[in-house]
Amino acid sequence: MAAGSRRYHARLLVLTLAIAVAVASTVTVVNAAETPRRGGVLLAVIGADPPSLDPHQESTFATIQLVAPLYSTLLQTDPYDYPKIIGDAASDWKISPDGLTYTFKIRPGIKFHDGSPLTAVDVKATYDKLLNPPAGTRSVRKNSYSAITTVEAPDASTVVFKLKFPSASLLLNLASPWNVIYPKKYLDKDPNYFMKNVVGSGPFKFKSYTPGASFEGERNPDYFVKDRPYLNGYKFFISTETSVRAAAIRSGRAYIEFRDLPAADVEAIKKQLGDKVAVQHTAMTGQWGIAINNTVKPFNDERVRKALTLGLDRYTGGKVLFNLTGLKDVGGLLRPSTEFALSEAELHKLPGFSPDIEKNRAEAKKLLAEAGYPNGFKVILKNRNVKLPYQDFAVYAVQEWRKIGIQAEQRPEETAAWFADGRDTGNFELIVAPTVEASDDADIFLRRYTTGDPQNWGRFSDPVVDDLFSRQSRALDPAERRKIILQLQKTVLEHAYYMPGLWWSRNVVHWTKVKNYVAPPNHYANQKLQDVWLSED
Amino acid sequence: MGTYLTKRLLLIVPTLLGAAALVFVIMRVIPGDVALLIFGGEAGGQIDAKQLADMRHRLGLDQPLIVQFGTWLWGVLRFDFGNSLWTGRPVIEELLIRLPLSLELAIAATFVSVLIAIPLGMLAAIRQDTWVDYLVRIVSIGGLAIPSFWVGILCILMLVIFFGWGPPLEFTPPWIDPWANFQMMVWPVVTVGYRYAAVTTRMTRSTLLEVLREDYIRTAWAKGLRERAVVIRHALKNSMLPVITLVGTEFAFLIGGLVVTETVFTLNGVGRFVVDAVAHRDYPVVQALIFLIAFGFVVVNLLVDLTYAWFDPRIRYR
Repeated sequence: MAAGSRRYHARLLVLTLAIAVAVASTVTVVNAAETPRRGGVLLAVIGADPPSLDPHQESTFATIQLVAPLYSTLLQTDPYDYPKIIGDAASDWKISPDGLTYTFKIRPGIKFHDGSPLTAVDVKATYDKLLNPPAGTRSVRKNSYSAITTVEAPDASTVVFKLKFPSASLLLNLASPWNVIYPKKYLDKDPNYFMKNVVGSGPFKFKSYTPGASFEGERNPDYFVKDRPYLNGYKFFISTETSVRAAAIRSGRAYIEFRDLPAADVEAIKKQLGDKVAVQHTAMTGQWGIAINNTVKPFNDERVRKALTLGLDRYTGGKVLFNLTGLKDVGGLLRPSTEFALSEAELHKLPGFSPDIEKNRAEAKKLLAEAGYPNGFKVILKNRNVKLPYQDFAVYAVQEWRKIGIQAEQRPEETAAWFADGRDTGNFELIVAPTVEASDDADIFLRRYTTGDPQNWGRFSDPVVDDLFSRQSRALDPAERRKIILQLQKTVLEHAYYMPGLWWSRNVVHWTKVKNYVAPPNHYANQKLQDVWLSED
Repeated sequence: MGTYLTKRLLLIVPTLLGAAALVFVIMRVIPGDVALLIFGGEAGGQIDAKQLADMRHRLGLDQPLIVQFGTWLWGVLRFDFGNSLWTGRPVIEELLIRLPLSLELAIAATFVSVLIAIPLGMLAAIRQDTWVDYLVRIVSIGGLAIPSFWVGILCILMLVIFFGWGPPLEFTPPWIDPWANFQMMVWPVVTVGYRYAAVTTRMTRSTLLEVLREDYIRTAWAKGLRERAVVIRHALKNSMLPVITLVGTEFAFLIGGLVVTETVFTLNGVGRFVVDAVAHRDYPVVQALIFLIAFGFVVVNLLVDLTYAWFDPRIRYR
């Protein structure tokens, strides 16, 4: 452990130095290339209305894209270089040699938009709310912080996190864009205050919100980063209709859509506007798959679950669905080509991931016959009533299963009902359940496969998976951690507890006059807009 | 007339009570629990029974149904429709954000539809079975057959592709910026107006044709009156009763029934508000909106009935 710990901290030091050099060089490059222009209002379109304005309690882009520019977080991922971690409210931090104490220094001079100073007390109150949500509130990512025992604020500029065990993912979790810092005095009055109100310390101040129509922020002249932001403000127009959002970009009514537009719309926009627009095509820390309710018949039978996953031709799916939806890559439970992902060779050995689809289908039919369903069965596949990419993906899965005799009927549901059925009550047999997170971190992505996790929609429980998750979370040696993570993924996929489909990619289309926005591989991070500027109005 | 008006006004009370009771019962019979949906929202952890019970208590959903209904009615009498269970804001406040837009759209679309439909319907009737009649019938059948939202999407796409221009994405009230308001509203008004003009044109044509075959019209022709006098003074006025009924009903429907058109033109109107509220099981909002829409229907119907007497002096109200 001592050697592992030393290696871990040496890595952290190297990482920190690398980040400092990278940030310095990026800033230099940006400044050298073009001189940022002040002013203008960034106009954007967004595909949904936020259920509430409190990112601690939500997990949708509809919330975070609107409010991220209004808040600060303790740490953040580098806007120019995902997934490097840099400070936001924290200027620097120290990790004790045993990896059990993290001490953060809060930048002096940060003010909330009501004029009060942001201190360590506010950071502590924020994390106390996240770790132990008061009655009547929820904390969506609470389980990602299971290593933390206490958060202390010994003085106004110091925050100390004490851990039960060293955590390889803690810094990434603290850089989550969702963990915005709230002023303590409002939380004391009402822990749900921020569901409908905004008092942040970010580069922009809240200006107006008309539900179903628009959300607006204006420049914060007291922002703690000198000379930022460049923009006078930003404004999101809300439209659930993809064609309307695409038309808004084409007509110049909006300059950017941060989430995704289908390839066909992107092509049409490029054809019409030529070099006035740019498209940032990025991979996505998100995968569209199907949760199988392991507690109901016939899906408590592993043979049936395996048949389902064997019946889905993911490789053809990636080709068919890419232009329609951006769904592209075949992968396991972590994004392909990332540090802890299963290799192609490893994947091919797992049920449903062999490229020989005819062999897969024969195996699926055999398993169904053994389980007592030689002629297949009928099943309802519940889904969210969002076309891109939920419903397109489900249509593909339904027609694939028909080839092995399973007659699935897609049943789209309104968002809240879909969450209630899938996550809260388990009122489903099969349900489209994507895994989309703000980073590739294994702790964040894999916690949903552990017993009792709120995101374990399939409601399965395997002590082996629980143990592997716990061990990987504490493993500070990357090689050792990788070994455990691969084993965890293989266990989930071999038992077909959950059925991954395809990994998403996205097209961020924007007018070229929008400068300094680098799309990260998800639509949650890098939404502060602090460095974004417009070359013309 | 006075007695009739009093009777009709008094009848509004049981009508609205009936509508309110019906919506109240239906909203509670359909599956779904607003407390669970609030916790479920777009995200959130699994919740325990106590949290759920606390939330139901906070929302007043643990009271007997009759108490809930009585409380709500008492509020309505004081013009207090309660707060949205979903957003926590007063229902009236939420409604006032959307009502000007929906009213403007309904008034303008009705105006456009009447302006197009009555002359076209007349023309088709007096030139029955000529090319004019066929053209009007084709255009009006087109309006009935093509969904408004599709016409709307085509409208936007054509503007964007051929002119590189799109309508504004946010509603500006006409008293703040009439030009911005016009730029946004003209397209949905034309789209919706065309649909309703089609219905009204057909109604005008068929009722006018019926009237034109009446004996008194033959007499008018025999007296040597000019076509204009026969059609406008004698026939048109008498053929207007069904048309007025149709226009009145359409107007009331337009206030809350344009969900898809509102979505296509990014209009934050009452229609989308109702649908979202039903999906969220937002009882106070649905109850208030249905109550107010029902009130709108009743008032419009009353006005329509009262205008009958002006169009047809034979009608006397008792």
